[in-house]
Amino acid sequence: MLRDPLNKAWFALVALSGASAVVAELAIGGLDRRVVGAVVLLLALMKARVILSRYLGLAEAPSWRRGFNLVLTLFCLLLLGLYLIPALIS
Amino acid sequence: MSDTAGQGSLLDELPGDLMMWVLIISELLVFGAGLAAFLALRLTDPVGFAEAQDHLHRTGAALNTVVLVTSGFLAAKAFQWRGLGARLKARLALVVAALLGVVFLIIKGAEYADKAAKGIDFETHPFFLFYYMLTGFHAAHVVAGVVILCLIAWKDSLRNIEVGAAFWHMVDLVWVLLFPVIYLLA
Repeated sequence: MLRDPLNKAWFALVALSGASAVVAELAIGGLDRRVVGAVVLLLALMKARVILSRYLGLAEAPSWRRGFNLVLTLFCLLLLGLYLIPALIS
Repeated sequence: MSDTAGQGSLLDELPGDLMMWVLIISELLVFGAGLAAFLALRLTDPVGFAEAQDHLHRTGAALNTVVLVTSGFLAAKAFQWRGLGARLKARLALVVAALLGVVFLIIKGAEYADKAAKGIDFETHPFFLFYYMLTGFHAAHVVAGVVILCLIAWKDSLRNIEVGAAFWHMVDLVWVLLFPVIYLLA
């Protein structure tokens, strides 16, 4: 069943979503919110990459996939920077 | 001349319809700007934003993520099955994908109803202005996506399914970026 890249992608997306929920719960339990923010955004980036590669078919277009991945990574770094500023200045 | 040919081959590499990719990139830019503006505004009142976020239903939103990625999976399978000639299977997958879109909207509607019952609206806090604006705009795309999924289940040419499913994957993609920022980054 997991030989089909689409099935693998679905399992990966569900697992990554579950991981996001667990990490968010750990934040409520007292885990450093800066770590939580970084992990949550990393998981979101991984989900976005799976959707682009497998659902939208960019696995067949490596140049475009690299371009999208680069822009998405920079965007997530921007979000992380904005998220961390209050923690860094307090 | 060779440059033009090179550009042509790069564009040809893109799967599906070029105009759909233009739409996908445009939507990502709009939602991306909205999310960046949301976190920039949070700088002015991080404690207020964290308190406002505690009113959200993280479990319902997490469930909606699973609903949407499963719906996207079925839309992608429909394209695969249609390409293999399994027309009925592809149509059924599209109908179930559309129904999951409706499930997403029901969960989202319950969330909005709960906020309304608590007297929370656009003016309660800037957090909720962005919350309603971004999730509401996304929900409008889900409504459009459900209609498109039903249309391509009816007019089920391979090209229609490819283009319609790409729109649905864009809705999925936006949600996986929107969900953590609005619901989890306290």
